[in-house]
Amino acid sequence: MADPRLFRLRVTFRETGRLAMLSHLELARALERAVRRAGLPYAVSQGFSPHMRIAFGAALPVGVGGTAEFFDLFLTDYVAAPKALAALQEASPADLYPVEARYIEHKDPAASVACPVSTYEVVFSEAPVSVVVPEEITVVRKKKEKTLAVADFLVGPVELDGATVRFTLAAKPTGSLRADAFARELVAATVAAGCAPATLHPTSFMRVEQREA
Amino acid sequence: MARRDLWPRVEPLLARVERPARYLNHEWGCADPVAEGDTAFCMIYPDTYELGQANQAVRILVNAVNAAAGMGAERAFLPAVDMADLMREEGVPLFSLESCRPVADFDVVGITLPHELAATNVLETLDLAGIPLRTAERAEDDPIVLAGGPCAYNPEPYAPFFDVILVGEGEEQLPETVALIRDLRASGASRAEILREIARKVGGAYVPSLYRWRDESEAQKAGSWVEPLFEDVPAVVHKRVFEGFAESSALEPMIVPYTEVVHDRLNVEILRGCARGCRFCQAGMMYRPVRERSADNIVAAVREGLAVTGYDEVSLTSLSSTDHSQIAEILTRVNADCAGLGVRISVPSQRLDSFGVEMAELVAGQKKGGLTFAPEAGTQRLRDVINKNVTEDDLFSAIDAAFAAGWRRCKLYFMVGLPTETDDDIKGIASLAQRAYDRAKAAVPADQRGSIRMSVSCAVFVPKAQTPFQWDGQISPEETLRRVGLLKRSVKYKAVDVHYHDPKTSFVEAVMSRGGREVADWVEEAWRRGARFDAWTELFNEGAWTGAAEALGISPAEIAQAEYGTDYVLPWAHITAAVSPKFLARERERAASGITTPDCTFENCAACGACPTLGMDIELQKLREAKDGGEPAKNPYRAILGSEANVEEGAML
Ligand code: SF4
Repeated sequence: MADPRLFRLRVTFRETGRLAMLSHLELARALERAVRRAGLPYAVSQGFSPHMRIAFGAALPVGVGGTAEFFDLFLTDYVAAPKALAALQEASPADLYPVEARYIEHKDPAASVACPVSTYEVVFSEAPVSVVVPEEITVVRKKKEKTLAVADFLVGPVELDGATVRFTLAAKPTGSLRADAFARELVAATVAAGCAPATLHPTSFMRVEQREA
Repeated sequence: MARRDLWPRVEPLLARVERPARYLNHEWGCADPVAEGDTAFCMIYPDTYELGQANQAVRILVNAVNAAAGMGAERAFLPAVDMADLMREEGVPLFSLESCRPVADFDVVGITLPHELAATNVLETLDLAGIPLRTAERAEDDPIVLAGGPCAYNPEPYAPFFDVILVGEGEEQLPETVALIRDLRASGASRAEILREIARKVGGAYVPSLYRWRDESEAQKAGSWVEPLFEDVPAVVHKRVFEGFAESSALEPMIVPYTEVVHDRLNVEILRGCARGCRFCQAGMMYRPVRERSADNIVAAVREGLAVTGYDEVSLTSLSSTDHSQIAEILTRVNADCAGLGVRISVPSQRLDSFGVEMAELVAGQKKGGLTFAPEAGTQRLRDVINKNVTEDDLFSAIDAAFAAGWRRCKLYFMVGLPTETDDDIKGIASLAQRAYDRAKAAVPADQRGSIRMSVSCAVFVPKAQTPFQWDGQISPEETLRRVGLLKRSVKYKAVDVHYHDPKTSFVEAVMSRGGREVADWVEEAWRRGARFDAWTELFNEGAWTGAAEALGISPAEIAQAEYGTDYVLPWAHITAAVSPKFLARERERAASGITTPDCTFENCAACGACPTLGMDIELQKLREAKDGGEPAKNPYRAILGSEANVEEGAML
């Protein structure tokens, strides 16, 4: 709930290297600890088990890093944004590094839904001749198979530049297509079409941009 | 030798296993890889990261080696089953976290033995590392393999697997050992020479290969199961104590894990040892004499520790933290420091009285989950036998205070199969728990009574080396189930539920706890038959253990269940925790007569032998207040470290 006395700081950070292997829960805990180490005047919820008022952006699959990840932190006192950023940087490991901090309005959408459109960049082990985008992808959700139409989620074309593939997916209120599932099927289709050898695999997988719908 | 970095081979495996964060290193606070040219020590916890990274011994020992000149420590943990199997498939050996190099490439490897169910994991660790399992099979350039930890007090079931077993507190002993190995290696000494020198020079070092194992009748005559093969090797190995503990900083370098580990919080050790003298308890005998750190030291460590780690929880650890002479002051100050930060404070406690509850209340805030009390036995008679100096009134006054203060759930810990236990004692557990429930009900407003939960949790008594009950056998698993059945039938209240520990694993614990060198073959055979992660209930492989016993023709039941007189020489008679065998035998006899022995931190010395043998004193910050609030008894071995209290103690002496 919006408390007008609090200050809402949106912090953008990079999740890189080995730390892309963290689960969303592990990441959340690591960020909270960095906020504590930074000594920022974070707000604490009321109630039986008080906890830090912090909200995280849309989760990344394990193994996918990001250069434009963010969280919203609620502060009880105003700290100039550059000062808050410097304190956070001091308290963060290199692979979980804050790069920007700015205050946003209470009425702005919640961090988890603010940016449903994500652009990903995958660097592959070798350069495919071309990539084949599957039309449908079958995923298992709650032990049930579900077939998703790629066109419902894919925004714009899939770009190939050497060994690097770039694509943009939009999350829908009814569900989303996970970037790692999409990449896996993309590889399978590309290999099946003879456009790349069977050993084709990602060597780096990053979310490079998140934006509003 | 050029360093081998296994990361390029480990990384591709991580997408295929659960919880890759176990294997990443790079946590906040983690140390650099061991510097080139320094002697490299690898500290291993023989279970997964979640258990090992939280372990106090691992933290203390890595820090101790890193603080010493010319050496450095890295960590390694046993990978979970999925990762271990994948590594074997791919030919990737066990690796250290910091530099991701093969554990077998280290100069010295240390494995801590935290409990009796880690033995097959020790073999799993060595095998995965590609280090020969037995000291006799190791070559000149294999690492020197050390062990330590609670199980070192009966080292024989592990004896063939380790080059050196370090007994006691390792803060000084371990860096000393590593330094000696470094110097001797530099001078070109052979492996055999190095081991001999360690046995001669490092206090508390037991080198099993330098002793001949005797048979039973020879051992009984000689007064020891082992015979030193050389004159300069000690016949009895005395535990080491870190004498500077009380004065040393309570703030230690800490690693903050990414993946959730057990006890995932700032742990500040506030005192070491417990002299309550429960006769089944190994820790109570192992860490004598009791030593307290000061309130100033502790409060500063909590403040600084929270700031550098970012943890939202702190635990003031020890065997019984509410016994600290300054505990009220410490909790009040820590509370004030943490106000408004959403930080939880926890205090493990053995104290079963209203003071214990008051202390718990000081830090509980609004959230009052469950409280745990350990009466251990259901009748006063049996509590006197085990020297649990707690009465029903103590328990009930604690329950009154806890439920009046707002707690609604309470867990009562008991042991089944204690020496002299009868069916009346078992029924006594049911009666005690039900009456505790009645007390709780009376202390709670009528409309909230429905939420009261009282649970009874039973462990099976495991006789432990170096305790007054070391001569007593364990009851059979079938008998345990019968007694638990009786207990369940005796509990009539629906709101009181009964849980119990699997007697099959407790049986293996008892064999490991009491066995001699012959048990090592059993462990190895069980491991070859697939036993590993025995402490994980769902992974415990009973068939491997029974099959191994049959194949070897040994009777583990005899080892677990045999009863001896106090004149019987036990397989760990050559190891001592500085508590004298005479004291242990006297305590066993007092148990038989139901005579209790008081806690020497509150009362007079009970003549356990630890202080005179070690040339030490109990170190308290101020006098502990006697339970009845009266003047504490004098004790010639009690030193008061705190400044104000010095005056008092001076006046008293
Ligand atoms: S020697 Fe006496 S004072 Fe020292 S630990 Fe033993 S019983 Fe306590």
